[in-house]
Amino acid sequence: MIFDIFLLQQVINGLSIGFVYALMAIGFTLIFGVLNVVNFAHGEVYTIGAFIGLMVITALAPPLVAVVPLVLAAGALSGVGLERLAFRPFRRFTDEASQKSRAMREATLLSSLAVSIIAREIMMHLFGGDMQGVPSDYLLQRPVAIGPIMVATGSLVIFATSAVMLGALQFLLYRTQTGLGIRAVSNNQLGARYVGIDTDRTIVTTFAVGSMLGATAGILVGLYDGAISPHMGFAPGVKAFVAMVMGGLSSIPGAVACALLLGVSESIATEFLSSGWKDLITYSLLVITLVFFPQGIFGHGRERA
Amino acid sequence: MKSKMILGAVLGAVMSAGAALAADKEIMIGYQAPFSGDRSQYGEMFRNAAAIKLAEFNASGKLPGATVSIAYEDSKDDPKEARNIARKFLDNPKIVGVIGDFSSTVSMAAAEIYATEKMPQLSQTASHPDFTKISPWQFRNITTQAFEGPYNADWILSKGLKTAAVIYIQNDWGISALEGFVDGYKAKGGKIVATETFNPGNRDFRSILTKVARQKPDVIYLAMFYEEGAALAQQREQLGITIPLYGTSSLYSPKLIELGRASVNDLHLATTFTPDNPDPAVQTFVKEYVARHKAEPSMFAAQAYDAVGIMLDAVAAAGPSVTRETLRDALAKTTNYPGVTGATSFDPATREPTKSLAKMVVKDGKFQVIGEP
Repeated sequence: MIFDIFLLQQVINGLSIGFVYALMAIGFTLIFGVLNVVNFAHGEVYTIGAFIGLMVITALAPPLVAVVPLVLAAGALSGVGLERLAFRPFRRFTDEASQKSRAMREATLLSSLAVSIIAREIMMHLFGGDMQGVPSDYLLQRPVAIGPIMVATGSLVIFATSAVMLGALQFLLYRTQTGLGIRAVSNNQLGARYVGIDTDRTIVTTFAVGSMLGATAGILVGLYDGAISPHMGFAPGVKAFVAMVMGGLSSIPGAVACALLLGVSESIATEFLSSGWKDLITYSLLVITLVFFPQGIFGHGRERA
Repeated sequence: MKSKMILGAVLGAVMSAGAALAADKEIMIGYQAPFSGDRSQYGEMFRNAAAIKLAEFNASGKLPGATVSIAYEDSKDDPKEARNIARKFLDNPKIVGVIGDFSSTVSMAAAEIYATEKMPQLSQTASHPDFTKISPWQFRNITTQAFEGPYNADWILSKGLKTAAVIYIQNDWGISALEGFVDGYKAKGGKIVATETFNPGNRDFRSILTKVARQKPDVIYLAMFYEEGAALAQQREQLGITIPLYGTSSLYSPKLIELGRASVNDLHLATTFTPDNPDPAVQTFVKEYVARHKAEPSMFAAQAYDAVGIMLDAVAAAGPSVTRETLRDALAKTTNYPGVTGATSFDPATREPTKSLAKMVVKDGKFQVIGEP
């Protein structure tokens, strides 16, 4: 390996792609933390966010800051809809046996997958499978030179957004009543019910918040990438999932750290291997983590009922 | 239905002309292509383009004493159908040559029958390397990466760009494009400093570009499609890399500019057909096609237009007493056919086409043809 400016540039490239994974992993992990199940439709919420954003941009041409609240609203709406369609039907039995049943909980793996396929096909039908371009005024692609290193404005925006999201989420979780409820449900759903927490409402809130983050990620990455398509959620979704598992499943800062680790590893690996192998790096890291840290790097050995 | 109407119209024209000239000989060409099913849009384009060429030919008087018509059959993009059609065409003594089919698989299924029963077959699109190797009766009017790669290599070297990096998509096509270019470039004294591949669906080229930039090549050659090409060009701009880009004809799509915007400016590529080519033959075809079908012809329509033209000129060369044998020999002698997809010649031994491609550069948000030899 040569230690030169190109290597430093590779680290920066890795961080940019890592923050894209991180942006998605935050919402993903939040929902997992509460329900203990994977929400396979998170990638589609991300795609919906991107398409709603693009539609708002092409129809109204508002300033970028005005696009974000609309995308947040669309995200919240799709999160609530998703919860209603794919998750709530499996919580209709409130007896203790059903509440503790793994099967009931894990059935949502399939129901969320089903919703994701339906949503993707509908988007394919409406918008076609082609990549959609973004009006150039909105692209977050302007190069910024920091000394000899080049970054795009989008990388900086995505970095700032991830930091704000992470901070706001930590505040929500540890400083507010709602956050206390989310943590209680996340810790023990049945116990939370017994102490009088409205678990349904807490879960809906979690979905709304998680999907708002997902939708925002979608439009930002779309503007950074310069193209939006119904399939755009899949690849970063897989990486976000790996980051979440490596980070210990329910640790949001852990997922972010692992997302960055993945991005930088992929980027540095390109120096030695053909980039066709970069997914191998991701999955090798996942396997190594699971062998040596079965709870994830940032997991805290909590018992899962 | 539509095909029968066209055929009817052609036959009507033939009969009225025949009455005037007294007993014109009737010669038929078979055209097999998918006219139904999910590939039917291609068959439709072929038929539209073929009808234009046939009308031009019969009006041109290149073949006195005979008129030519085309019999269309729907292969449904199915090898079984293609074999049945081949039998049907063989049983018709008026048919002296066949054009089609669309995909390599279906064309090759029919080709096996045409090879044993001795019927000349010219496909407008079958690009599988083995198609023309089946027998001396198979021809094609489409170039492959084995032709395009060395062509682009010559072009790049003629600009004094002596070192190249290749970035290609990891699939069969991408590998053939890599090999075609690298062989041609090395053979003429160019030096390949890096070859980098990526998986289909990849959107992040920053790492690859950074790695390639370290080798400081004179040019980066792209073997990929427009989605990736646009993303790569944008990220190259963001990284402040100014190494010029050349690419395969697969990048030629209005979507490349729509997605890539200013970042694809100055990208060079060569393609067989572009409706913007100022060449008068191309403009006549485009005008007639737009008048009839209210849409610009695609590369596929242009391929069919030239395949029909090459076949008809071979019929004219063989004369009114043309047979399947004399037509095959005339096809093999095709040299510099002035088509809309470039001047086309068939190699008499391999029956592979060589074409002069239209060289283009992206400038001011448009593909512009460069008037270079």
